[in-house]
Amino acid sequence: MRKVNRWLGVIGWGLLALFGLAAFLAPWISPHDPKAMDAPMLGPSLSHPLGTNDIGQDVLSELLYGARFSLLVGCLAAGLSTLIGVILGVLAGYYDRIGFAVMRVVDVFLAVPRFPLIVFLAAFLKPGFWTLVLFFTLFGWTKTTRLVRSQVLSQRHDGYVEAAVAVGADDVRILLRHLLPGTLSVAVVRFIVEFQHVILAESGLSFLGLGDPTVKSWGSMLRYAFEYPTIFISDIWVRWAAPPGLCITLVVLGLTFVGFSLESYTNPRLSGRRG
Amino acid sequence: MRLAMNNRGAKIVQYLITVIVLLTLNFFLPRMMPGDPLSYLLGDPGADAPMLLTEEMRANLREYYGLDKPLIGQYWDYVSGLARGDLGWSIYYNASVASVIVGRLKWTLLLGGTAALIYTALGIALGAVSAWRRGSKVDIGLLLTVFSLGSWPPFFLGMVFIVFFSYRWGMFPIGGAQSAEAARLGGLVQAQDVAYHWVLPGLTLVLTYLPGIYLITRNSMLSVLGGDYVRTARSKGILESLVLLRHALPNALLPILTTVAMRFGFMIMGTMFVEVVFAYPGMGTLIYEAGAARDYPLLQGAFLVTMVFVLALNLAADLVYGWLDPRVGRLRVTA
Repeated sequence: MRKVNRWLGVIGWGLLALFGLAAFLAPWISPHDPKAMDAPMLGPSLSHPLGTNDIGQDVLSELLYGARFSLLVGCLAAGLSTLIGVILGVLAGYYDRIGFAVMRVVDVFLAVPRFPLIVFLAAFLKPGFWTLVLFFTLFGWTKTTRLVRSQVLSQRHDGYVEAAVAVGADDVRILLRHLLPGTLSVAVVRFIVEFQHVILAESGLSFLGLGDPTVKSWGSMLRYAFEYPTIFISDIWVRWAAPPGLCITLVVLGLTFVGFSLESYTNPRLSGRRG
Repeated sequence: MRLAMNNRGAKIVQYLITVIVLLTLNFFLPRMMPGDPLSYLLGDPGADAPMLLTEEMRANLREYYGLDKPLIGQYWDYVSGLARGDLGWSIYYNASVASVIVGRLKWTLLLGGTAALIYTALGIALGAVSAWRRGSKVDIGLLLTVFSLGSWPPFFLGMVFIVFFSYRWGMFPIGGAQSAEAARLGGLVQAQDVAYHWVLPGLTLVLTYLPGIYLITRNSMLSVLGGDYVRTARSKGILESLVLLRHALPNALLPILTTVAMRFGFMIMGTMFVEVVFAYPGMGTLIYEAGAARDYPLLQGAFLVTMVFVLALNLAADLVYGWLDPRVGRLRVTA
């Protein structure tokens, strides 16, 4: 099992590195400007390895720039929401009053299914890049806060924290030096889960036509391919619809593998032998 | 590790507050748009096609939004209208929003409900087997299969199913919930036809949500299987299958139940995608169509009904959970 974990971790990191690199290098390695138009519906060729779409844009270039958009939204929103979640969670765990107030807000947020809410907001507000990041951050921090808070609550009465209090360490020191490090593993796992969720939700929004209409994303590529009349009868879907779909799948899979290998690393009970 | 409230009343109050927040959002969002909702509806510069409204529809809309009254009066009209079941007037269908929704809700319940039953049962069974056979080929095989299936976004998985099962092999219909012919005949023929149309979207949903339940069950079972009472049961020489079913599984089920309940909300996302891909006439497609047609009253109504429905389910799950596990609300107040 340990071996499997290690392999899953390696594959996961490999996939993420591959897509991260593609996203980063998109402007240099794309064969074309993703918005430049050639003849529509060209088949694969040397100049257009995956052909062109219904308005003559190079599919491979769209795909590379799409990686940029999807990963950037995911990474930013997941990072911000985890950061907010950890800060509020630590404070809520250490100060009872803040804890009470924050948890009431968390309860309200958590009771609401967030995707319909985001769809609803998106239908009215026509989100761009930053609005999307804001949406996903706004609805992403609550679970992290709750988990971090319970982690801090259970640490608060551990010997080393009480010892720090006893020697007169101030609150800032206790929070930063003694409580924060213990929440790191929760934070990392939450970041990964959030990242996955945002990637799926963002491409889903674009697929429904509610994303940023001015940028190329994997979800919007799928949308235009799906709406093309003969997409499923011919083999066009193999070079047009399948690539963005597979990219989303592989990024999510990479994150799952990384998350799984990290989780069993931080929670040995899940991977150890039967005791 | 849900924060346990110490009584049910507090839980219900919390859900009420949530509903009020949603109502208020639903009320203010269209009114916060540049101009008033009517001019936003009629003269949106980004609209693909200008909305053509008859005088009657205009009057209906104006009455729905009650724009000539002060804001507080509008809010009161809105809430008291909702209490009477008045969700407004759909521009696109030129019918009351409530009547449009009623026709759609049953399909979503059918599709989502049956899929939820199947993936929950299957996820628990597979997760339990995986935990029991931890580290074996069966466990690793299941883990890898479930992971690789679960990473497919439902809208893409659905498309792939359509390509192969519908177009290539002609085994299942491309979309819809039933064929007009079977609906006319009714009875068993219709039931068969509905089941036949259910298969692809249902399967997509099952595969999308199976991994979550599977993993939770596996983790929960693994921690339970390491417990003292399981070791005691084993050392007494009780049959392994009985140890699993009688001693381990019931204790592992509680966290699973919470996950299942909390996933109702999460599941709406998948159901919406699947409905759109398969043109399944449920709430998801309705919200999608309402958004595309800029039918804001319909969008608001469908959104509200969906939300209230999920909230009711979550509240029910919360209450049942407290009843099943007496420790909740007493010992775990701080955990």
